[in-house]
Order: sequence, then C-alpha cells, then structure tokens
Amino acid sequence: MHDLVARHLLAQAPPVPDPETVDLARLQFALTAGGHFLFVALTLGLALVVACLQTRATFSRSALHARMVRFWGQLYVINYAVGIVTGIVMEFQFGMSWNGLTHYAGNVFGAPLAVETVAAFFVESTFLGLWIFGWHRFNRWAHLAMIWVVTLTALLSAYWILVANGFLNHPVGHAEEGGRLVLADAGALMTNPSTLLAFGHILGGALLTAGFFVAGVSAYHLFRRTPEWEFFGKSLRIGVFLALPALLVTAAFGGVQFAELASLQPMKSAVFSQEAADMARLQAELTARFGPGDYVPSEAWTRGGGLTMLISFALMLYLGIGNVVLASVRTTLYRFRLWHLLLMASVPLPYLAMISGWIFREAGRQPWVVYGLLKTEDAVSGLSPGAMRASLITFTVLFALLIAVNWWLLLRCARRGPVDAGLGHDDREDAEEHTHGSAAPLPLARY
Amino acid sequence: METLALTLLGFFAAGYFVLGGADIGTGMLLARLGRNDAERRLVLASFAPFFLGNEVWLIATAGLLIGAFPTLEGELLTGQFLVVLPLLTGWVVRDAGLWLRGRTGGRGWRTVCDAAVVGGSWAVALSWGWLLCALFTGTPDRVATGPVAVLCALAVASLFAVHGLGFAALRLTGAPYERARRLVGRGGPWQSFALTSVLMAAVVVSAGAGLPWAASAADGATLSLLVPALLVVTALLVVVQAWMWHAFRKRVTRPSYL
Repeated sequence: MHDLVARHLLAQAPPVPDPETVDLARLQFALTAGGHFLFVALTLGLALVVACLQTRATFSRSALHARMVRFWGQLYVINYAVGIVTGIVMEFQFGMSWNGLTHYAGNVFGAPLAVETVAAFFVESTFLGLWIFGWHRFNRWAHLAMIWVVTLTALLSAYWILVANGFLNHPVGHAEEGGRLVLADAGALMTNPSTLLAFGHILGGALLTAGFFVAGVSAYHLFRRTPEWEFFGKSLRIGVFLALPALLVTAAFGGVQFAELASLQPMKSAVFSQEAADMARLQAELTARFGPGDYVPSEAWTRGGGLTMLISFALMLYLGIGNVVLASVRTTLYRFRLWHLLLMASVPLPYLAMISGWIFREAGRQPWVVYGLLKTEDAVSGLSPGAMRASLITFTVLFALLIAVNWWLLLRCARRGPVDAGLGHDDREDAEEHTHGSAAPLPLARY
Repeated sequence: METLALTLLGFFAAGYFVLGGADIGTGMLLARLGRNDAERRLVLASFAPFFLGNEVWLIATAGLLIGAFPTLEGELLTGQFLVVLPLLTGWVVRDAGLWLRGRTGGRGWRTVCDAAVVGGSWAVALSWGWLLCALFTGTPDRVATGPVAVLCALAVASLFAVHGLGFAALRLTGAPYERARRLVGRGGPWQSFALTSVLMAAVVVSAGAGLPWAASAADGATLSLLVPALLVVTALLVVVQAWMWHAFRKRVTRPSYL
C-alpha cells in the first residue's frame, strides 16, 4: 500500500493549474504576506526598544524606565500576538498553494524555513511565554535575559526568512539535478547579498516603524496634556532619536540594493526607470534564453511601489530632521501641539514605505518565483479555483478583522496610558477579580 | 539521516499532540468548566504560560516537514487543502481570542473572545480528526469523506477534550477544578492524563507511519546540514521547556495575563 500511496503522491506530474487559480493564489499570498509583514515591522523594532528600556531599568533600578517597559511592552505584546497568528497561515501556505515550489526548490528553499521555525521561532515563543508570565516570578536579571533572547531570536527569525526570500530573488548555492534543485553551497546561500542587504534594510525599517510609533503615541499624551508628561516626553525623544538614524540605515541599505539591481534583476531596474529600449532588449534576451513569454513585470506595481517608497522616504527624512530639532528643545517638546498632531499623523508613513518597498521587491521580480529558474505560474498547486477562492475569502476576511482589532486595541491601550493592568501586573496582590476598567495608575517604584 | 529526520519529526508531532492537545482540549471545555467570567479566566490561566510554547511544536513539525520532506509537505497540504483551511482558521481565531481577551474591560468583548476560544479549539480538534482520517485510510492526497470521516473527526475531537479535561483537573482549583474532577470520573486525573497522552502521541505517530517518507526525503546534502543542527537546538529547547513547566508547575488560584 505504501508503494501505491507513494506513486500516487509523488510520481505523478503535478496537474496544470487553472489560470484563475494562479491569480487567486497570488492575490492570497500578496494579501496575507503583506498583512503579516506589517505586524512584523512594528514587532521587530518595538522588541529592541523594549529590551533596551528593560536593560536600562534593570541596571539603574529606575522606576520610570520600569514603567516604560510595561507600557511599551504591553503594546508590543498585543501587536506580537496578532503577528504570530497571521504568521501561522504563512508557514502552511507554501505547501497548500505553492507545491510546485516545494517540488522543485524544496531541497534549498525548505531548509532555511525549517531552521527558522525550530532554531528561531520555537526558542522565541518559549522565552516570550516566560517573559510575559514570569514577571515577579524570576529574578530581574533572568527576566532581562528572557527579553533579550526573545529579541535576538526574532532578529534571527527575520534573517532566516530573508535567506529563503533572498534565494527566491537571487538564487545562489544550488545545483540542478534531475529537474530539481539541490543544495550545493550552504555558505553561499547564507551570505547571499540579496539576503544580507535586505536584512539590514528590514532591520532599519523595523526600528523606523517603532520610532514613529513610539513618537506618535507619546505625542498624543503630550497633546492631551495628560499627567504623564515626563514619561511621554522621554518616550517621544526615544522615538524621534531612534527614527532618524534608523531611516538613514534603511536608506543606505536600500541604496546599495538599488545599485545591485542592475546586475541581479536588470528587468526590474529597467521597468522602474522606464527605459523602454532596455526593456525591449531584455525581453528579447529572456525570450531567447527561456522561451516565449512575457518577462516584463507589472509597471504599475513595480514603478508605483518604488516611487511611493521613495516619496515616503523623502517625507520621513524632512520630518525626521525637524523632529530631532524640535524634540531637543524643552519648550517645543512639551508645548508645540501642532507638531504633536503632525507626529501622530505620521505614524502610518513607515508602514507605507515598508509595504511599497516590499511590493517593489516582489512584484518587480515577476514572472519568476525563483528568479530565472521557476515561473510563478508553474509553482501553483493544482487546485480548483473554487477551493482557492474559498481560502482567499476566508483568510482575507480573517486578516482584515485581525488588523482592525489589533489597531483598535493598540490605540485603546495607548490612549489609556501607563495603568496598572495587563503586562507585568503583579497578580499575587489580586484577592478578588481584577477589573480592567478601573485600573490604578502604574505605581512608581515597582518592577 | 532520513531516519533521524523522521524520528525528530515524530517527536515534534507527538509533542504537539500531547502538549498542544492539552490546552486545545481545555479550551474546548472552557464554557463547561468556567461558569462565569472569573472562573473562565482561571481556566485560561491553567495553560496561559504554556500555550505559545505548546503550539510551536506544530510550527516546528511543519517547518521540519518542509525542510526535510519538501515534496511530501507540498502534496500533503495541497491534498488536504480543504481540511487545513478550517484547521488554520480555528487556530488563528482561538489564539486571537486567547491573546486579546484580557486587553479591554468590556463584558461583551470577553464573551466574544470566549466564544472564539471554544469555537476555535473545536474547529482545530475536529479538523485534526478529519485530516488524520485521510492518513489512516491511506488517501493523503484527497480529503476523507463519508461517515468514516465524521466518526474519526468526532473520535479524535473527543480524545482532545478528555485529554484537556485531565490537564484541567491537574492544574485548576476551586469550582472549575471540582467540575473537571467530577467529569474525569473515578480514575485519578494523573492516570487519565497519562493515558490520553499516550493515546494522543500514538494517534498522530501511527497516522503518519503510512506516508511515503523515504521517497520524499530531501537531498542528502540538505539533510546532513539540517538534521544535526536541529537536533542540538531541540535538545536545548526540551531543557528550556521543561524548566518552564517546572517554574509554573503549581495549580492556578488566580487569573493571569490572559
């Protein structure tokens, strides 16, 4: 029976998918990966902010910083939780909708995903549980070590995902044997320039997102003149002083990636700069090499994505410089309410830049899923359009709801300010049921 | 290397069914064990520190599957597409309910989240039964149908529930504990939990035993790098998780972060 199953499962040529299935599967991947990516952007950056704050609080025993850990940590955990649940869908999606990719490139592409889940995410989740539920239970140094393990494994997780993504964008370290890819050089795979540059770029982008978020939330409290002026004055400065260098790092890695494009993915480069002659020449070259087909990615998405990213970068650069100046002066920091409004309004800017940069990267490499090796349309599972549509609708509705709930809760908790509920609350003091609505302000000297 | 990879995969899958199965089962019985908001919070606290660490066993299973048996991963998930869909949906809904329940004060919101936890847990357990049915009947490339599928889904879901019940009886105090204890019946909760643990592990391992592993293993070059690295990390992880269970070993008497 085993042989029968094996023959059935593996020997059979993958059925040719319906063109509609291809479009639906692409749309689902774009929406779910994009949604997940936006959660990750904030989580990754905020984790580093929280870990640094807790380090400061642990070393100095500063009550103010301990309160900051709990307040920003609370927002971090909410965003993280919703990010995890969207990530679950991502992991299974490769096998569900893109089994042509696992068939052809699984030997190379699967390994970084496996390492990510076990060596990064597994460790990260275990320690995150310890950190959240271990407040007041472990000594403060052990508790500090926990958030650092969470933060560093989160970065490791991003790295391994980008090893997989970098391979799709610029395949290296592989060889083809019997119509399938095999791993030839793990070192080349792990030091792929497409991976390392993207990692630096994403890391900068995540810190930028966190910087604008922290500054925006703090500006709200300063604008409303809530009693927590010292807490949010300091927090605003952290956000603003983090955002500008993060922006410069992001831009530097982005610039190098742009320069590399001409050699790694010349067609993307040509489409972005609207070089019609280059595009025609490359189309002819690629047709000669890979057979007839359309090798020009969507100009609207590629160019639109690239331009949106550059415009939001320029806006953030001007804002970032102005923010640093205004935050350095005590009077403007606490009293310039128009600026506070501007800071709140600019929270979405890094998100816009992140998502449009991602569209530029991924839409611009079409029609390839593994650049130059496997076309997107050949990677889709042989599913009926009906099944694909059902999953597209399910996951889109689910993700839209999760994004809405996430922001509703984030804004609610952000507006409420540092109250003694939720993360880090010492439940040993709860004799009876704790009601969140009437939570007392965070006490000063407790950690 | 293939055998090692397969052993590790079986270990991850069994780990998920025993550990993750316990909190899924308890989630299925949330409304039965906790009659009011405070009691339900206590029931959630029984597995609160563990559930994230429990469910990553499945993430690790899926990760190892794609790394070490990529072809089979693709065929299996595509073949079971319509079962994996409710499984993932249930998982996402349940986790969102767990994580977000305590983040705002409204009674209505907490009722919505309780419903998400109970409904999501049932969806996950039933989907597992449905999926395992296809593996048991030797048709991993298509979704199981007919009365066998229904029976299998119900049987596996009941096993999840009983497993969760044993866990709850070992972790809870107060009125929810009394209810769990009564439902467990005459045998002690330890015996019940040990028995369901063995059954949970046996069910998933025996279901997977019939799959064509050897024919779908990744290339030797990939496995020889991947498997030793993962073995080392897994050993460390087991130590950390054991420490976590030890740190939170006491029965819960008050609500926690969730």
